[in-house]
Amino acid sequence: MKLLTAEESMQTCVRCGACRNVCPTLNITGREADGPRGRVLMARSLIEGTIPVNQEIKDQLDRCLLCSACVDACPIDVQVPDIVMLAKERIAAAAEAPVQTDIKKTAYPARTFKDYFFDHVLANQKRLNTVGNLLWFYQKSGLQYVTRGLGILKFFPEQMRQMERITPSILPPSGRKHHPEFTPRTDEEKAARGRVAFFHGCIMDVMFRETNDNSIKLLSKTGFDVVTPKAQMCCGALHHHSGKKDRAIELAKANIQAFEEANVDYIITNAGGCGAALAEYADLFRGDYHWLERAKAFSAKIRDISEIIYEKGEMPVTAGRGERVTYQPSCHLQYVMKVKDAPAKLVKGIPNSEYVDLPEKKYCCGSAGIYNLLQPNLANEILDKKMSRVKETESAVLITANPGCYLQMKLGVYREGMEDQIETKHVADYLMESIERAESAGNQ
Amino acid sequence: MNETMTPPPLDDNVITRLRNIFGDDRLLTNCTDMMTYSYDASFETQLRPKLPQVAVIALSTEEVSECVRLANEFKIPLYPRGAATGQTGGAVPVKGGIMLDLSKMNRILEIDHRNMQAVIEPGVIQNDLNEALKPYGLRFPPDPGSANMCTVGGMVSNNSSGLRAVKYGVTRHYVLGMEVVLPTGDIIVTGGAKSKALKSVSGYDLAHLMIGSEGTLGIVTRLRLKLLPLPVTRGIVLCSFERLEDAGEAVNAVFSSGLQPSAIEIMDFNCTKAVNMMKPELNLPLDNEAILVFEVDGAKEEVSSQVNRLRKVVEKFTNYIKFSDEPDECEKLWQARKLVGAAVGLLKPGGFRVYGGEDICVPISRLPETLREIHNISERYGIICGIYGHVGDGNMHTGPVVNMNNEMEMENVQKMIDDIHELAIKMEGTTTAEHGVGIVRAKYMDVEHGPAMEVMRAIKRTLDPNNILNPGKMALPN
Repeated sequence: MKLLTAEESMQTCVRCGACRNVCPTLNITGREADGPRGRVLMARSLIEGTIPVNQEIKDQLDRCLLCSACVDACPIDVQVPDIVMLAKERIAAAAEAPVQTDIKKTAYPARTFKDYFFDHVLANQKRLNTVGNLLWFYQKSGLQYVTRGLGILKFFPEQMRQMERITPSILPPSGRKHHPEFTPRTDEEKAARGRVAFFHGCIMDVMFRETNDNSIKLLSKTGFDVVTPKAQMCCGALHHHSGKKDRAIELAKANIQAFEEANVDYIITNAGGCGAALAEYADLFRGDYHWLERAKAFSAKIRDISEIIYEKGEMPVTAGRGERVTYQPSCHLQYVMKVKDAPAKLVKGIPNSEYVDLPEKKYCCGSAGIYNLLQPNLANEILDKKMSRVKETESAVLITANPGCYLQMKLGVYREGMEDQIETKHVADYLMESIERAESAGNQ
Repeated sequence: MNETMTPPPLDDNVITRLRNIFGDDRLLTNCTDMMTYSYDASFETQLRPKLPQVAVIALSTEEVSECVRLANEFKIPLYPRGAATGQTGGAVPVKGGIMLDLSKMNRILEIDHRNMQAVIEPGVIQNDLNEALKPYGLRFPPDPGSANMCTVGGMVSNNSSGLRAVKYGVTRHYVLGMEVVLPTGDIIVTGGAKSKALKSVSGYDLAHLMIGSEGTLGIVTRLRLKLLPLPVTRGIVLCSFERLEDAGEAVNAVFSSGLQPSAIEIMDFNCTKAVNMMKPELNLPLDNEAILVFEVDGAKEEVSSQVNRLRKVVEKFTNYIKFSDEPDECEKLWQARKLVGAAVGLLKPGGFRVYGGEDICVPISRLPETLREIHNISERYGIICGIYGHVGDGNMHTGPVVNMNNEMEMENVQKMIDDIHELAIKMEGTTTAEHGVGIVRAKYMDVEHGPAMEVMRAIKRTLDPNNILNPGKMALPN
């Protein structure tokens, strides 16, 4: 659990500037207000009431990606994203309050969406296409709960169904039955490397079903007995971040219960965003002693798939195909779960493939939830810079470790017109492919 | 200092001309933007923010020059800054005016490895420069604790150094030449306009006049830096002493044995306690008054032999010793020292670590009594304080910890800071060894320098007759 609450944490910032050189937005614009120190000061001033709630402060704080790179760099862990989120909650509350502010009175975040779609998206055909694709994503993925209550569906013309290019092909419902509740390790003659539970996530399991299937296979191939509890739910990160804390708590309780019953050593995720939310469950239960202890025990078991395989598993024989590979980390994975290089280390171990480090991999890719919708200009600048680094590596495969990053990187590759030169892949898929390649070579 | 007078509003004409130079995106006038340009890392600006009237982000020497020319024409205060990681208020706009952000001028223009030098823009981060130099087996040695975030331009303006100054010296020793925009807007190059020489005594050394002048005489827009080869390997010896005096003796013994450590760092018992709170697994001994960390560097065999010699020299003074020449193990031992600055805040619940009186430097021979006296001062005011620093050159960082809501403590901590600075001068030392003067130490300047201060003021008046560059700092003319 975090040592300090957001309010306590904002008072401890001494403005040393250790966060400056890791902030992706500050790196683009150079404006102090686009860096963590500036954001902490602005958010704190707003929370403490020394500056008024207005459109200007809202616009400034909305530019934060909430990537947590600054928290990782901070010597005393000032919780910048939490502080910015708290200020945003205050802004939302002020927008609802009877007192006049210059923020239009519409439900937040619905207002944000509406503002954006009216002012920016509907006025721009190219951007409309991007959004249409994401809507298609939402609809197809059965994620209407994300949009429910936000009232954005009615703002989209029907014809916006293009850009399927960046969205993965979704398996038909027949291919999306529940995962087997128990998958034993492949080589049962060897002792198990551990008994683990697989957390399949909500978006992941619909949009990236094959990656989930591959993840379970990969765990089994690397020596783990895998339980996939049926009763598991969405991690609740989206709810928590959109101010629906009650629902996030309900989901957390359901997951804690489900995974306690699974009786495992570790709980494995393959999405940095979900993993980070699960690892921070304890923060939802401050003051609730009973659930706090259970949440802490649950969070202590959370591991990323690359992390557990690198640390406890045994990779079978793998084979590359002579390709060059690079890796863009997930911010939640590297900064919240603190898994810095396990995916890269696993990829490096594959014979007949060449791993190259991505320069400036510390910077977020600009996906950050729906950031690329809300801050299109800044997000595109971040993405373009990222892609210029990817190009420098001359890689044929770009590895990711989180669905948001995967889609963003695919979008980046598409924007560069390099779809036939660079393949975007989740690390679990890439590892599984290299295992299968070695197996089929062995069989011949 | 601390003028509350509101500066006159800027002429519309000035804003229009700034817009012509910088464009809309790099000209900032929002209230929130001004707020975020009101501070550096100093305690002073936490308490009393200094807001500019407009901020601009420069990308080239030409832009800087035009901006300075404009400020000089309209006699508007102009405040250059890099990353604003300073502890002294050196880069904040005490008189309003224009904030000139140089942090985006951050290109490494040339790495001339055959001539052991690099040409860079001032906004390059120290650590980024060293990462870029690594493939050439080279480095830029001055390494302040803020190396991950401070700009080299800021280091030059403050003549910064760090824990390896004891062997490698300070920023001043690595500047071969620079391009400077003078307060008139004119651009000069020091050290020979086209020179690539590693030594030169041709004419007044103008670079060295600019180094440490804290942006009051000119704005550095390009730097030609001297580089050294990367050390092959490093070794660490960490030892603990029952009494402060023993630690002082150990340092003297090491120097007289002919060893040349690349760093010697001290932590007092409060710091040890704080580090243990932050990282219990380090498990440092708590019943002693001081810890010393020695570092040696060089070729592998040389390092092992130095570590052994060092151990033998300090053995008779210490009751606890740990050492290593393995990189991972060294890193663990160094951790204790690296965490201190952040950890001292933990000494008191709800505590806030104050940077003030944090950079005094005394002769090494007077270290033990200085340390003792700082503890006495801290007890006198009832303010807990951790002391650590670069003991190899007598430079100490004191860290008083206060509760910001406690008015009594806030008042006392100011008095405590004054006492520490006075102590430094009494001990034949200086009020600042590597952080600078800025606004927080301006009041000690006359006492410390006597008539020399008038010469500094005369230089300032000559180069900057309209007093537009970083005015209100270093006790220079108002």
